[in-house]
Amino acid sequence: MPAPAALTHATVLAQTSEPWIRWDWVSSHTDQILTALREHVILTLIAVVVGLLISIPLALLARRWHWFEAPVLSATGILYTIPSIALLALLVPWTGLTRTTAEIALVSYTLLILIRNIVAGLAGVPADVREAAEGMGYTSTRQFGRVELPLALPVIIAGIRIAVVTTIGLVTVTAVIGQGGLGQLILDGLIRDFRTEVVVGSVLCVALATIADLTLVAIQRIAMPWTRRGRTT
Amino acid sequence: MRKHGGRLVLPALVLTLALVAAACGGSDNKSSTATTQAKESITMAAFNFSESAILANIYGKALQSKGYKVTFKPNLGTREVVQPALLKGEVDSYVTYAATELTFLNIPGDAGQATPDVQQTVTRLRDAYAPKGISVLDASQAIDANAFAVTKATADKDKLTKMSDLAPYAAHMTLGGPPECPTRPFCLSGLEKVYGLKFKTFKALDAGGPLSKNALANGDVDVALIFSSDGAVEARNFVILEDDKHLQNADNVVPILRTPKVNDEIKGIWNSISAKLTTADLVSMNKKADVDKADPDALAEQWLRDHGFSV
Amino acid sequence: MNFLGDVVAWFTTASHWQGTNGIPHRMFEHVVMSAAAVGAAIIVAVPPSLVLGHLRKFGSVAINITNAGRAIPSFAVLVLAAQIIGIGAEPAFIALFVLAIPPLVTNSYVGMADVESEIRESAQGMGMTGWQSMWRIELPMALPVVLAGVRTAAVQVVATATLAALVAWGGLGRYIIDGLAQRDFVQVFAGAFLVAVLSVLTELVLALVQRFTVSTGLTHRHKDKNEPFVGAATVVEPISVTQGEMH
Repeated sequence: MPAPAALTHATVLAQTSEPWIRWDWVSSHTDQILTALREHVILTLIAVVVGLLISIPLALLARRWHWFEAPVLSATGILYTIPSIALLALLVPWTGLTRTTAEIALVSYTLLILIRNIVAGLAGVPADVREAAEGMGYTSTRQFGRVELPLALPVIIAGIRIAVVTTIGLVTVTAVIGQGGLGQLILDGLIRDFRTEVVVGSVLCVALATIADLTLVAIQRIAMPWTRRGRTT
Repeated sequence: MRKHGGRLVLPALVLTLALVAAACGGSDNKSSTATTQAKESITMAAFNFSESAILANIYGKALQSKGYKVTFKPNLGTREVVQPALLKGEVDSYVTYAATELTFLNIPGDAGQATPDVQQTVTRLRDAYAPKGISVLDASQAIDANAFAVTKATADKDKLTKMSDLAPYAAHMTLGGPPECPTRPFCLSGLEKVYGLKFKTFKALDAGGPLSKNALANGDVDVALIFSSDGAVEARNFVILEDDKHLQNADNVVPILRTPKVNDEIKGIWNSISAKLTTADLVSMNKKADVDKADPDALAEQWLRDHGFSV
Repeated sequence: MNFLGDVVAWFTTASHWQGTNGIPHRMFEHVVMSAAAVGAAIIVAVPPSLVLGHLRKFGSVAINITNAGRAIPSFAVLVLAAQIIGIGAEPAFIALFVLAIPPLVTNSYVGMADVESEIRESAQGMGMTGWQSMWRIELPMALPVVLAGVRTAAVQVVATATLAALVAWGGLGRYIIDGLAQRDFVQVFAGAFLVAVLSVLTELVLALVQRFTVSTGLTHRHKDKNEPFVGAATVVEPISVTQGEMH
């Protein structure tokens, strides 16, 4: 924008010498903040759990019938290209301003990541390992449970990690339909021009995502001590 | 990452558990206000601007202190989003503005016409909503209607005091307003019909909130829709143009509630609040919210206390 | 299907193709903003990450930037940027720029770092300096992964640019936000459809770019890594490298 306009711009905003965070507000609103945080955690957990419940069978089917893989990934891929705010807006006339609407959208966005990683994880089990298991007389269920699944878990958990972190970010957008967890703080901060809420909402969001990510890494290490991950995790 | 992985496990787990525990623990504080009688629960919605949240809190908290279980859903959206939610029962109540609410219903003929007469408008609103299962309680004398503002500089330059003065300039001006403005009769379509104003462009901002006011102040828009009860007009050097052709009507504050939830106690309390609420109250609370960033619930509680209601 | 009929009617209304709020203008805004944000992010993030990957230094920093970056909700960055610098294109650009960086950093770093040591050693043995090795040998080999990062970043940015309409920017998100505010779901659907189309086009275009720039010797090597759908990322292996937050 031209220089004079930019200058007016900056002066107008400089007038609002609003601090980044008003600690007195934070300490008097811990209830509200914690409720938002709790909502956020619940929305995320439901989304990822339901996402897994849908993805696992679909991924297994894709492994079983190879022709199924492309259409499933295409369908979930197309779902993924719909911007979250649009999907939410389109669901509203059907499912209303409810948690269900938010969850339908959130679950949809986990599907591509989860299915793809479950399929990739299972596909990544080396053929000779499978043959060895067969050779040892493992039934296919036992093979799956004792050999394939454990070896696929690192990649699957990598997918879960991404799904969880992505969902935590997406939950904020559901604030526009009255859900949102920490996103409510951010939206309220926008409407009231109140920076503290936005800062608190975002910092907690990042903290939540980081903790969730680290927890999953920890679980992975505890459950699968043999995994030697290189630089990529 | 591998080197430090082991050291991170325990703190990470502890932190997560602590967070989750704290979060879970934070929600149980409502049980202390439960009374011996089980009173019904009411969900109060509010539009996406702060005055609406303040009003929802005033009416809602008054009930809360009498033992009703009130859930607040602020910033739910525009009337286009909130009203269907009310009709579907997803929310139970919101505090609205009589003329705009009536016009929104798009009822043909006189029955759907909002006028400057508040009694007439509210009666028409009441009659329109009754078959839909919504009760319209008493309206307040407090008014908040759409208002269009320019900066003092613009007003001085083009000698603007009323809306008709915009006629020669509109074609070179940008109007800023909420995204629903183009389809609202008291907004863009009304400006065209009643004042003959055709603006150069329209910029979708927010409902008289910070986006609109900042845009007006820094010249991104020439005219902005703000609310007639806005508290920052003087402070921001804005000039509200007089509605000389009376595009706006009786936009008095009025709470509406789903009929199954109505009872005499609620009616009594809410009508009493409406009787005491004034436009000056709105302006003063809006100012505190805008400038001091006071919380809607704190402002509501203060108002209730000042006017003899228990909180 | 009345709704779809309405959508078709929306697309065939002449006024929807004209003016500031017309499809061509909004599409143009959206594309230019996305390209600018991704372009700027590429300029800022890719070269240092490539160098670090070549040197195999500070890998954990690269990874942590990604993880932290993925965790930052774009919605929050948008709002904060709007509150600091004002509404319109500027906060949108900042938020999208920030969003594009993590996948570019990780993929550039990992793409370079993953080039096998034997290859580097052969390059050294052939008398190349580190710089020459990086440019002539390693970078071409890292290209598929780097380009996958560009694709991820681009598609993410195109989708998230819709949110910027909340802070008074334009783009295709305008149809979605305005449609929601006006309860005009035909408009919302039309906007969503246009964004989805743009996302897919972006993927296709960048996939083509990849096909033409990546040496055939490499694609031969990567033949067994499936690409079931162009919309899915190409390299199916470490998904942490190629995937990221989308919206």
